[in-house]
Amino acid sequence: MYFWNCNFGRGDLLIYNWKKIVKHGIPLLTLTALIEIIAGQILQGNQSFLIGLPIFLISIPVINSIGGNIGSVLGARIASGLHVGYITLDIKDKKMHDNLITSILMGVFVYLLLSIIIYYSVLFGSIHTELKIGLIDYTIIVVGAGVLLVCIISLVSVLTAFWSFKRGLDPDDTVAPVVTTVGDTLGILLLFILIGVVV
Amino acid sequence: MLAKEMIRQSLPLIILCGLGGIVAGSTLGVMTDLLTSIPGLIVVIPAIIALRGNISTAFGSRLGSAYHLGIIDADNIWNIELKQNIIGTIILSFFTSIIIGFLAYISSIFIGIYPDPVKLILIVIIAGFISGLILTQLTIIIIYAVFRRGYDPDNITGPALATFGDIITMLCIFGTAILVEVIF
Repeated sequence: MYFWNCNFGRGDLLIYNWKKIVKHGIPLLTLTALIEIIAGQILQGNQSFLIGLPIFLISIPVINSIGGNIGSVLGARIASGLHVGYITLDIKDKKMHDNLITSILMGVFVYLLLSIIIYYSVLFGSIHTELKIGLIDYTIIVVGAGVLLVCIISLVSVLTAFWSFKRGLDPDDTVAPVVTTVGDTLGILLLFILIGVVV
Repeated sequence: MLAKEMIRQSLPLIILCGLGGIVAGSTLGVMTDLLTSIPGLIVVIPAIIALRGNISTAFGSRLGSAYHLGIIDADNIWNIELKQNIIGTIILSFFTSIIIGFLAYISSIFIGIYPDPVKLILIVIIAGFISGLILTQLTIIIIYAVFRRGYDPDNITGPALATFGDIITMLCIFGTAILVEVIF
């Protein structure tokens, strides 16, 4: 609803107008920026730790992008299901549960795979010779933070899709920005919680 | 059956995006000296990446819808509708970059870190603007290739932009930070 501005039949010659694109984009993007700055401040607070152990600095974009992508895919699927009608607005909907569980299982697999790839790429990479953390500890932290993130983000995604649909908004427009923003902040927060528990 | 389809179609793309994340993360990993010498730089990184992601995926999906509506196609891509979209996207990038720089500066002061406001805001604006130009161009190239092959742009542009967007934005922040550090 923010980015999609179509004005058929109002006499305007153009369907897209740069002023409308800017006007509709600013409120949502400002809100997103504000929440992302909070995520950035968490990073700044832990900056000396991150510089001492850069493997976690490398992991942050990975944790966030996977969480955001799984959440967006799930949201888009739920949205299509609601539009077409094979998913109902019910917390106990069987198809919604299937999608939710598949997302979480995909999360477990992808985080496990990528944490091992990151560990070995840093180990054999020329830039950082000393790692100061074992493969098992590192994998537990990344998979733990990642899976918790996917669980929460999947719920947020389903709830946003349901809420939007109930309100008459198109979930396709609302789910992606909500999921990326919540995911970035939560991903960074969960990573530091897991680091605190394991290290 | 439903679950199988979801895994088959989205798992490869999610893994690809994760690999893209490793490249973006490694760029962040080699920036440690710059992060130390420019306080506040680390604060703006998640915001710039998210801003780029949100603006370019919205641009991509608008072009996808324009294609479905029959407004643009492979033979008629550089028309006035596309130009309006490009102008809107670039102005939006510029405004939100200023907002990000400003918010990062104010919030850092509250926490007790005093970044150089000129440096910080300059980095956000230049990095946001350059990555915006590159990604807008890239979106048009992707859309054009997708049109040519007759695929549905809705299925391709989102993940493709997510993968390239993070890497390009990270490299732009890195380059701009070096530039600003050298000039000032």
